[in-house]
Parts: sequence; C-alpha cells; structure tokens
Amino acid sequence: MALYTVADYRTNVGAKTVPFIPYDDNGGSLVAVAGDDFALLASDTRLSTGFSIYTREQSKLFRLSDTTVLGCAGCWCDALTLARILEARMQMYLHEHQRPMSTPAVAQMLSTLLYYKRFFPYYVANLLAGLDEEGKGCVYSYDPVGSYERVHYKASGSAGALLLPFLDNQIGYNNMENVTPEPVGIPKAMQILKDAFISAAERDIYTGDSIFINIITKDGIQEEKFALRRD
Amino acid sequence: MECLLGVAFRDFVLIAADMTNARSIMVVKDDEDKLHKISNKLVMAICGESGDTTQFAEYIAKNIQLYKMRNGYELSPSAAANFTRRNLADYLRSQSPYYVNLLLAGYDDETGPELYFVDYLASMVKVPYAAHGYGGFFSLSIMDRYHKADVSKDDAYEIMKKCVREIHKRLIVNLPNFKVQLIDKNGIHDLPPITAKHLAAEEADVPLPEVRVI
Amino acid sequence: MSYNGGAVLAMKGKKCVAIAADKRFGIQAQTLALDFQKIFEMGPHLYVGLPGLATDTQTVHERLKFRLNLYELKESRHIHPKTFGNMVSNMLYEKRFGPYFVEPVIAGLDPKTFEPYVCSMDLIGCINEPEDFVVAGTCTEQLYGVCEALWEPDLEPDDLFETISQALTNALDRDPISGWGAVVHIIEKDKITTKTLKTRMD
Repeated sequence: MALYTVADYRTNVGAKTVPFIPYDDNGGSLVAVAGDDFALLASDTRLSTGFSIYTREQSKLFRLSDTTVLGCAGCWCDALTLARILEARMQMYLHEHQRPMSTPAVAQMLSTLLYYKRFFPYYVANLLAGLDEEGKGCVYSYDPVGSYERVHYKASGSAGALLLPFLDNQIGYNNMENVTPEPVGIPKAMQILKDAFISAAERDIYTGDSIFINIITKDGIQEEKFALRRD
Repeated sequence: MECLLGVAFRDFVLIAADMTNARSIMVVKDDEDKLHKISNKLVMAICGESGDTTQFAEYIAKNIQLYKMRNGYELSPSAAANFTRRNLADYLRSQSPYYVNLLLAGYDDETGPELYFVDYLASMVKVPYAAHGYGGFFSLSIMDRYHKADVSKDDAYEIMKKCVREIHKRLIVNLPNFKVQLIDKNGIHDLPPITAKHLAAEEADVPLPEVRVI
Repeated sequence: MSYNGGAVLAMKGKKCVAIAADKRFGIQAQTLALDFQKIFEMGPHLYVGLPGLATDTQTVHERLKFRLNLYELKESRHIHPKTFGNMVSNMLYEKRFGPYFVEPVIAGLDPKTFEPYVCSMDLIGCINEPEDFVVAGTCTEQLYGVCEALWEPDLEPDDLFETISQALTNALDRDPISGWGAVVHIIEKDKITTKTLKTRMD
C-alpha cells in the first residue's frame, strides 16, 4: 500500500508550473580590428542552442550605415530586437538632422539603449565597428548593460576568451621583443583574424561553419566569406 | 578579524600578533598572547577558532620537543614548518579539522632567518613578509614599500610600527595592542609591544620612558 | 579551483617536451607570494604540474613523490611518463568522492626511447592524452585559444620554448589570478633547460 502511494507521486498528476525562461544562449563570436583608415568586423555564422545547430549560415553583422556595422552575439532574439531598434533610431536621426549618424554617435546611443534595460538586459555581446568623423577606423566594445569603451581591437561572444589573448599578441604586440609595434594594414589584419577564428573553431563548439568579414573603408563596405570547420 | 604580521630580514625576523580576544561583538581580553615558542629559535603566531589555536600550537610545540628528545637535535625551521603543514593538511580532511592560520618565524643556523605563511587549508609558502587577517590589506602594502633585506633592528621595528599605525588608522576593527618578538641567531627576544597608547603618545610628542630594542 | 589561482601548460616538440607554469600564490584577489612552485621534477625526464588548490598542490606532490619512490625502489628503474600518469590517476580516483582539487599535467620523455609524452587529467583522474599540448588551471580558455593558434608539429627546442612562453604569457595577461612571473622547463634527451619569464605584475 505504501509502495502505491510512492508510485502515485511519481506519475506527477496535477498542476505543474512551467517556468518562463526569457533568455537563450545562441552562441557566436565576434572579432573587430580598427586600422588607420579602415575597420574590420567579423562574425562566425553558426547559430546554435545547447548541442544543436539552428543554421550554419547566419551572419551576426548588421550594416547600420555606410560607415557603421554592428556585431551581435548571444541571445539571437535580443540581437534582432536591438538591431531593429537601432536602425529605427538611426532613421529618425536621419530625418531630423538630414545626415546619417556618425559611428561615435551610434556607439553612445547603443550604450544608452542597453542601459535602459539595466534590470532586464539584452543578453548580447556587442561590437560596433566603423569609421569616425575623421575617417579613422574605430571599434567599440560593450557589456550587456551598456558599459562601453573605444578600443583598437576586440574579440567577444562565446569564444571571446580564446580569441582575445591571440589578438593581444598579434595586433597589440603584447609580450613581443625586438619588434616595432606598427599598426596593422588590411591584409595582415585579415590574416590574423582568419587564424584566430580557425583556432577558436577548434575548441569552441558554438563557433564554426564559416565567418563573414566586413571591411569598412571610405569607399564603402566590402564583405568577404571564409570557411571554418563544420563539426 | 585577528591579525598576524611577520617580516624577515637578513639577520633576523620580526613577528607580531594582535592581543585581542573577541567573542562575537564583545572584546573579552586585550592582552592575549598569540605567539607560541615552538623551539629555541622558532616562534608560531597563530589565529583562528579560539580553542583550536592553543590546542594546535601546543600539539606542534610538544611534538617538536619530543623529536628533539628522541633524536638529540632540533628540527630546522623548514622541517618544523613542513611538519606543521602536513599535520594541518591531514586534519583538514578529517572529521575534526583545525581552523587556524599561522605564521612561523625561525632562525636556521645554516641558512639564516626564515618566515613561513600557512593558512587554514595548509597551503604553505616561504615568504619575505606576510600577514594574516584583515590587517593584511593595509600592512602588506606598507611592507611592499619599506621592506629591504638589510635593515637595522630599530628600523625593522619602525616598519612594524608603520604597519600597526596603518591598521589603527584604516581598519574598523579595534586591535589596540600588538605583541612583537624578534628571532635571530641568539634566539627569541621580546620586543616592547606596539600599543595604541604608545603610538598616540608618540604622535603627541610626549616623552615616554625610553624603550630600547634589545 | 580558483581560490589560489594559477595555470600550467605542456607542449610536445620534436624529440623534446616543454612544461610551463605561472608563479603566483594568492588567496582569492590578494597576492601573497611570487615564487610558488607548481611544477615538480619527478625524474630525470619527468615533470608534473599541479595547478589548483595550493594545499592540494603540495599534498598531492608529497604523496606522489612517496608512491614514486616506492615504485622505483621496487622496480629499480625509472618510471615511464605514461605509467606515472596512471599512478597519478589512480591516486586521485581513490578520493573519488572527496577529491584533491588539482588538475595534474604531466610532461616527460620515455626513459628508453626518449619519445615525448604529455597528458593532463581532471581532479578525479580522468586522463587526456593528446598529440599536441595540454592546459590546466584558471585560464584554460585563453590557453586553448593561443596554443591552438601558435603550436605546430615538430618544433625544435628553441622554437618550442618561444611558443610555450608566448602562449603562456599572453594567456596569463588575460587572467587576473594567474601570472606574477612564470617558469618554463624544456626537456630534451640529454639536457633540461629551466628558464624564468618576466610577466606583467598586475
């Protein structure tokens, strides 16, 4: 009789609360490099959740203007929403001021937008790359609640920790002896960027398939695709 | 809450411990001796769970004395420190671990003065200077700034005073008195305790009866 | 695992292996010593790195040395690194339900053929025996990132030293509880080179 009671509990009859989980981690990594007159922004194209892959060809880059590109990795629905709001705000700015928003202005606006959701944040790693008013390359790096910083190069997203020390070494010339730290040009930056992603794809299961690289110069934005391992 | 300080120099090592015994929010005693003589040239400063401290210090001290009686020679400070560490490590994974943090200051006739830092997990490191407790947050930076191997005994005592002064100034916990000992080739020497009273008098420039270091 | 901080890395080269570690000892954010040993010599061509909880680094080292001495006394020969790996694994698994908090890394050469060997394991002794490099400690992600990019097969001792040093230092710089100096051992058939590295002190 007692055994029956236990069995009854296990059939789980009755009301059960299903928790609402507003976030998902869809992975993805970003790398950005700022040069003298260009900026590079790259993202991988794998969109996943847990151990399953949604798609192998989802770029996480959003072209906001002719000089500004945003990279969003993390919770994909938040990334989409955030990019949509940014685009709308930039459109409003354009109509009001009769000129497109500069990259530093977009950078400040993104920070404000993120902080407005301080207690229910967008679960995204953001990198903003582009050219500033003087035509110099710029990269802005964010935390999920809007703390931001202009940097020379940055990696973030699921393989941020794997990518960053390599960039420190190759682009930042950290721990290098007998070398003159000269700013990288587009070809070298592209090579480093690809090498970094190849390495990250070896160890991070949320990064892989391929990468999209946006090359932002005064002549416009070029896009390049590069294949990564797909397992 | 409690604080232990130790600094090793070229010919001697200084060790200090606060003299406060507190139960919860109540200070019960301000002349407690937390420095235990382990052997002729070895001192253990110990703090932590109050029963454990004396029990553990005496257990180690007596065992090291026993070793001396059995073998006719003393354990070196490094041997004694390793013995202490191993005991603490074995007790850590037993039913009754000792919750004690300690500093071991000794003089080795072969190699000179030595200072060992041992925490309650039984991690041991040989260091030039170290501190246990919240006092460490303030005194370690003083030691970083002023420590040199070649310092006279009076100057060393001054460094210790600087540490205590900073603890009095910046630490919210009341630790008025510090007992200080010096260990050199001649053994253990008691130095005048560093007290809030003395420091205040010094600051006010009131002449005090002269205290000489050794 | 991140109470005291620290990182260890080992790499295979051409007829040589390298093992490197940082030298910090701290209690959470407070650094207390800059000369804490995490790599121990266990034989003429055998080194073990024990990052993790400092007390267990020391205890496990002591107990391993004891077991190794018994082995060498009984067998009258030097242990093979792979056998040593199994010895470490076995010792850790004895404490399956109350483990030592260390992630051992072993680097050595076969005592007869001088074949390079590296392996790592988790705190309960699950062995990982790859062809290239092993990492352990508080900045494994960073180490994997740089090692994967910098390592290549059949590195000569000098190049192996440069590779392991760059990999370790750049990874350490992105970990707040590792660093404060580093040590590198390059193990060759008839030479062991030990070098200390200057790293960022913040």
